[in-house]
Amino acid sequence: MRNLGANRLRPLVLVFVLALVFAACGDGRNDDEESSGDDDDTEQTTDDTVDDGEEPAEGSDLIDATDCPGDPTTGVADGTIKLGTSLPQSGLYASFAEILRGSQAYFSYVNEELGGVTVNGEQYQIELVAEDDAYDAEQTVGNVTGLVNDDQVFGLFNVVGTKNNLAVREFVNENCAPSLFAATGAPAWGNHEYPWVLGTFLVPYPLEMQALVDYLNETTPDASIAILAANDDFGAAYVETLESLVEGTGLTIAATETYDTATGEVASQITTLAATDADVFLLGATLTACPTVLNELAGSGWDPIVYMSGTCTSKTLMGLAGQNGDGVISVAPLLDPADPANASNEAMTLYNEKVAQYQPEAAADNGIVAYGWSAAAMLVYTLENSPELTRESVMETARSLTDVSDVGLMLPGATWSVGADDWFLGEQFNLVQYSAADGFFSAVGDLKVYDDQTEEVTPESLVNG
Amino acid sequence: MTQVKRVAGWILGFVGFAAALLLTWRVFTQSLDLFDGLFNDPSKASTIDLFTEALYIGIAAMGLNILTGYNGQVSIGHGAFFGVGAYASAILMFDHGWAYLPTLPIAGLICLVVGILVGIPALRVKGLYLALVTLGLAVVFPDLTKRFVDGTGGTNLISLKTEQISPPYWYDWFPDFIADPLTDYVGSRDQWAFWLTVAVAVATIVTVWFISRSRFGRALIAVRDHESAAVTVGVNNARVKVSAFAISAFFAGLAGSLSVLVSRLANAGKVETFQLSILLLVAVVVGGTATVWGPMLGAFVVVFAQDYIDEQDTLTDLLDPPRAKLMSPALFGIALIILMYVLPDGIVGGARRGLRSLSRRRAAPIDA
Repeated sequence: MRNLGANRLRPLVLVFVLALVFAACGDGRNDDEESSGDDDDTEQTTDDTVDDGEEPAEGSDLIDATDCPGDPTTGVADGTIKLGTSLPQSGLYASFAEILRGSQAYFSYVNEELGGVTVNGEQYQIELVAEDDAYDAEQTVGNVTGLVNDDQVFGLFNVVGTKNNLAVREFVNENCAPSLFAATGAPAWGNHEYPWVLGTFLVPYPLEMQALVDYLNETTPDASIAILAANDDFGAAYVETLESLVEGTGLTIAATETYDTATGEVASQITTLAATDADVFLLGATLTACPTVLNELAGSGWDPIVYMSGTCTSKTLMGLAGQNGDGVISVAPLLDPADPANASNEAMTLYNEKVAQYQPEAAADNGIVAYGWSAAAMLVYTLENSPELTRESVMETARSLTDVSDVGLMLPGATWSVGADDWFLGEQFNLVQYSAADGFFSAVGDLKVYDDQTEEVTPESLVNG
Repeated sequence: MTQVKRVAGWILGFVGFAAALLLTWRVFTQSLDLFDGLFNDPSKASTIDLFTEALYIGIAAMGLNILTGYNGQVSIGHGAFFGVGAYASAILMFDHGWAYLPTLPIAGLICLVVGILVGIPALRVKGLYLALVTLGLAVVFPDLTKRFVDGTGGTNLISLKTEQISPPYWYDWFPDFIADPLTDYVGSRDQWAFWLTVAVAVATIVTVWFISRSRFGRALIAVRDHESAAVTVGVNNARVKVSAFAISAFFAGLAGSLSVLVSRLANAGKVETFQLSILLLVAVVVGGTATVWGPMLGAFVVVFAQDYIDEQDTLTDLLDPPRAKLMSPALFGIALIILMYVLPDGIVGGARRGLRSLSRRRAAPIDA
């Protein structure tokens, strides 16, 4: 009688364990744990000190480091600078690990072919410690505290996910560890209480809405818009910004529906929205929900102009939509590696060559790899423009990046700056349209320039909430 | 034919037993390694957190054991109670400026009430159906938090500042072994979390021990084993079942509240809540259902085995180098399957069985 409970439970538990095993074996490819910063380091070439472009104003008080614990040169030793990152490498979102491949290809290229990153006349090898958080904010906290306390990294690079970055920004701030290019377009990175976190150059979600409104005002100024958005902060960034932007224009919002990001069920919402027969359909969704919605839409008999979040523009996701993705409009801050017209571009040639050389398993024509490559290039650019290799100096340089151009796979002619009040980078980008037959996005019209506008476009609660 | 089957069974059993023994041994020696110099080595701050995590998972598992082990009601929803506890503490501290300590009992009591509310309708369903109802709890909870929690950056996440999870001023009065500020980068935060969790764990063990030997404990078992027989001897079936739910929810709430000290946040994702619920159930069964110590041991095994396997690059590299990270949860699952195969009644149950058969030698097997 004693083991009765156990016997009854055993099959149940076995089923669950098996379920966990299968869940864990889900798709997605993977990384190498630690990267680039290998042996042949430190050829200390002191002769090209003139490399620095612009410098941040001397003694500027962008960053107050007086209360900072720890050594300002933590993570810098023996000609190596050690950085940490946390991103999903397993679980449902394991495909984000591809970002890491792009970054590692760039770091390998810098370490092995350029002798490292040059800061204040000295060369340093870049070492990136990559941790897996399966997109779970709690694991991100564990990883980041470990990276900062135990691994003693200089700072963080490319931590993926809005919640994940929100979960660690207190800790990052208290420890004065620069967190550069947090990989989300959320407006929260404009919050001035957290100067040690800088968002990435993805187009800020609210700015996407400004671009859409401007485009519609030009083409169909009296359009009605139907919205489907994720039922979380991500979706809210689109919905709330658009609601405030259409005021005073001829544009109207016909209906707003949300979907549950956990289930991804969208069929009934599409039916409801299709019934409005609106001229424009705004899709504030991300990841697999994007192709799912596009496929549902195709079967609904409704044929609006479709605008889709810039986070959905990856080759994989558009591939899942197939023909149904044709004509969809979105934004792109970088050159599309899938577009053959870009193949002759010098930056693209380098990218294709080095990714093939250092990360042969990565699909170079996937935009997410190109993103990782470009983020790494931005990091190296920031380090090289820092007057000295201290946490404060690097963070100040990042906070005062001005007229950055031709870094990574930036669009030709585009420049990015971090404003004193407007802490967003990716404010110049293309509006793009997908061609299913070609399998890539091409630009619609000229480069869109919205310098220093994210802050004013975004409802205040989204930034400081 | 039967002979072949028997031999195969023996071989399989032997291999499985060896593997389970090896895993348990590795986990044991690894925890000894980790514990060695734990409080003198600043680079082990996150290792202390690992012990704390094993302890609070153990507390929640011991609570779940009251419900599932002693009372036979399966819950796959305790991740939700755990989450309620975490949110209760985080919200009280973040929005209302409370110190941590008073939020701990409040978090437990809130969960106790929620446990009663869930326990009453649960009276109507049993077995697999109850499991599904509680699964619903784990699924709905993250949605509720999305709707009702106005957290950091418009999400349902509440991220706490270090000062909010720092030890109270009187913590310095303790001897250095317990509160040595030099051994940590961020004050003695991690030690504070560890020792507080130890204290709650001890209290939990004592409580469960008393329950298991009390009139109420016997009523729990009686209801599990034969409901109608229990009723005929005067056990109030409904009250016992609801109490079991409430008590287990209470401990899950305490554990959730303690988790905030380590994770610095309260959060509820669908996948995470579900996984935690399963992890608690696995800890109960691995350690031994309806035993006092089992779930705590089980929690240490699952937490440390998971950590150990995560760190095993050589093991995972052997299988497939580029997919090392993806493999480790799978290896963890396989290890658990082997463990369950060899020790179906858990570690404590298996140990008891072993001791009994040793003392009984080869006397005729008469089971009580």
